[in-house]
Amino acid sequence: MKEKPATVFVVDDDEAVRTSLRLLLKSVGLPVETFESATTFLEQYDGNRAGCLVLDIRMPGMSGLDLQLALNERHSILPIVFITGHGDVPMAVEAMQAGAVDFIQKPFRDQDLIDRINRGLTKDGEMREALRARDDIRVRISELTPREREVLDLVTAGKANKVIAGDLNVSQRTVEIHRARVMEKMNANSLAHLVRMVIEAQRED
Amino acid sequence: MTDPAASTAEPLASLAELELKAVLDAAVDAVVVIDAAGTIETFNRAAERLFGYSASELLGQNVALLMPEPHQSRHDAYLGHHLQTGQRKVIGRGREMTARRSDGTLFPIFLSVGRVTGPGKPRFVGLMSDISERRRVENAMRRERDRAQAYLDLAEVILLAVDREAKVTLINRKGSEIMGWEERDLLGRDWLETCVPEAQREAARHLHHLVVGDIAAPGQYSEHEVITRSGEHKLVAWRHSPLRDELGTVIGSLSSGEDITERRLAEESLRKSEQLLTDAQAIAGLGNFEIGLDHEHTYWSREMFHIIGMPSLQAPLPLAEFLDRHVHVADRERLETAWRRMVREDGEMDLGYRLVRADGHLRHVHSLARIAKDPQGRRQVTGTIHDVTESQQAQEEIRQAQERMTQFSRLSTMGEMAAGLAHEINQPLTAITNYSQALKRMLASSAEQDPEDIELALSQISAQALRAGEVIRRLRSFVKNREARTEPIAPSRLVSELLALVEPDARLNDIRLKVEMDDPLPDLTCDPVQIQQVLINLVRNAIDATNEANALDREVLLEVRRHDGDVVISVADHGPGISAEVAAHLGDPFYTTKSSGTGLGIAISRSILRAHGGKLGHRPTPGGGATVFFTLPVLSGREQ
Repeated sequence: MKEKPATVFVVDDDEAVRTSLRLLLKSVGLPVETFESATTFLEQYDGNRAGCLVLDIRMPGMSGLDLQLALNERHSILPIVFITGHGDVPMAVEAMQAGAVDFIQKPFRDQDLIDRINRGLTKDGEMREALRARDDIRVRISELTPREREVLDLVTAGKANKVIAGDLNVSQRTVEIHRARVMEKMNANSLAHLVRMVIEAQRED
Repeated sequence: MTDPAASTAEPLASLAELELKAVLDAAVDAVVVIDAAGTIETFNRAAERLFGYSASELLGQNVALLMPEPHQSRHDAYLGHHLQTGQRKVIGRGREMTARRSDGTLFPIFLSVGRVTGPGKPRFVGLMSDISERRRVENAMRRERDRAQAYLDLAEVILLAVDREAKVTLINRKGSEIMGWEERDLLGRDWLETCVPEAQREAARHLHHLVVGDIAAPGQYSEHEVITRSGEHKLVAWRHSPLRDELGTVIGSLSSGEDITERRLAEESLRKSEQLLTDAQAIAGLGNFEIGLDHEHTYWSREMFHIIGMPSLQAPLPLAEFLDRHVHVADRERLETAWRRMVREDGEMDLGYRLVRADGHLRHVHSLARIAKDPQGRRQVTGTIHDVTESQQAQEEIRQAQERMTQFSRLSTMGEMAAGLAHEINQPLTAITNYSQALKRMLASSAEQDPEDIELALSQISAQALRAGEVIRRLRSFVKNREARTEPIAPSRLVSELLALVEPDARLNDIRLKVEMDDPLPDLTCDPVQIQQVLINLVRNAIDATNEANALDREVLLEVRRHDGDVVISVADHGPGISAEVAAHLGDPFYTTKSSGTGLGIAISRSILRAHGGKLGHRPTPGGGATVFFTLPVLSGREQ
């Protein structure tokens, strides 16, 4: 399946601001989609789509902050750049604490916004890459036999082969063979690499 | 006309008898002698002339023949009665009686009777004279006197005659009425002692001496009090003239007197009330004037002169000269126009203008005038001039203070709304920045550009600049220092301009402003900015209340409804509502429940509404919260 390119999602209730942002971002070659309210965005956004959310912090009905919380509840990783007005600093602080990438005060220099968006896009890319890698490790772990799984757990717990053989009540040689199969299946260069992969796989979202 | 035969009828008469007869015949009075039975014994010449009988006809006849009835038939009885009892009714006294001539005519006589006492039966001598002439004169005199008395009595003045000793000889009915004396009781009394109070008696006596001494002026005037029988003092204005007899000798004085007690009291009270009026005018700075329209007449009260700064002894100025000299040149035409209209329409004038005093100082006066008729029915302008300089200044100061307060309140309201308004201006500015930067990038790019994008950016840049400008214009027109002015405005326009100012604030507070209006609505006659100021106060209060209660229903409802002759505008929120305690202080200046409020909003709203003839009220919103409303009267003829 062909993934859509990373997109800048703009949510602003003010049509002029919304349209002008669309034009600005288009002029720097960024794919843009605009939404007139937080609710519309929530209804239409597919969480798998890469990109960056440019979000007006103040909106009637569901505000920017409300949308951020809703997305967090959905475990969205979409980076958010908040657009704030004068005197919205307390809200901006709240937004940053809730995980926003950045905020920018209206009116702003185009480059400042674009830099922040790019930072968001980069972060999104990295996040999505990291997630993909973790998924990969989990798939590999799931492909191990139960015995190999036991050996993996004990090896990453830092136990020596001899101790593992004792624990599993098998010969030391058998342990060495399983261990080699695990290293191979997990595509690990070293014990340290293997340990990192297991930790990564155990991480929650 | 003595009958010679009669004199020779008694040839045996003695000398004494002859003498007696001569006396009798020479007597002017009629002499008749009768005996005790009433039979005539003697009838002299004068009696013959008087009664038209000859002596020979009557001698031996009963004297009753000479009397009319009823005396004729009763005379014998009178005589008998006298002889029997000795009582005398006529004898020795004389009395007026009526007698009867031979031809039957009656005439008045004066009768005196004497009794001849001697041997034998008594005889009686009657002496009679014709008093017809005297009667006639007496009657004429009486009539004359009665007529004079009637005139005197008719006179509405005291008429008093006194003799040289000041004893009353005559007083008319009016005089006795005033004095409380019966005329007859007063006659003969010393007027000065009886009727003049002691304090003025000497002066009155002195005057009396002058009059009877014939050295006073004819019709000499004096005023002195009299004291009535009941002790009341009355002030009388007198005219005195000497009273003379036929020879021209002064025998007393005749005075006419008019009771001027009431008049003097009225004059006194008139003088007092005139003084009071003058004083009141001076205290109030209120002068009055009259100007004849059909006739030459100009009157200015003393205060009128005072206001103008002219000495009050001067004559009032003619209107044209007054206008020219004392009315500020810029107000002259206005005054003339109002004056002419009043005169033309028989109407009134109510005008303020600036008056230039004689010393050049400027005073503000308020003049009221109208057309009136003088007692002769001629048209005249009667009016007042009130110096209102001081009160005008005080009023102006109050007005300015109120205006400053209103302005201050507007500014502080704007301060509270600054964030919302800044946001409202920031939006178009952000859009403009974005569009222009996008354009710059499109132009710098080598790639083919969509002409529609360029078109959009350019048109939007100007549209958004105008949008920002509009917000600023509304803001400016709202906070600008300005004179209050009234104009007709459609409620829809009033509300849409209001929304431009309050909606950003509502949005900023995440509050939905809902508007509901009756359709159609009449135009309002008001100062739109002031009414918007009231509405902004109410909407902001509603927003604050919603925030305070952290209400779930974040809607503020603005309603414009027609109700009877008014338009009612209400703002309803779902906040905590207005407690009784707060309601009691609502509208007190500087009373506020907000941490950053001035406490002026409602107070100023009230005064604005009062000036518009409207009023402010509040009630709970159904389901919780407060609804604050106000009424504005709809002027007739403004219906759309």
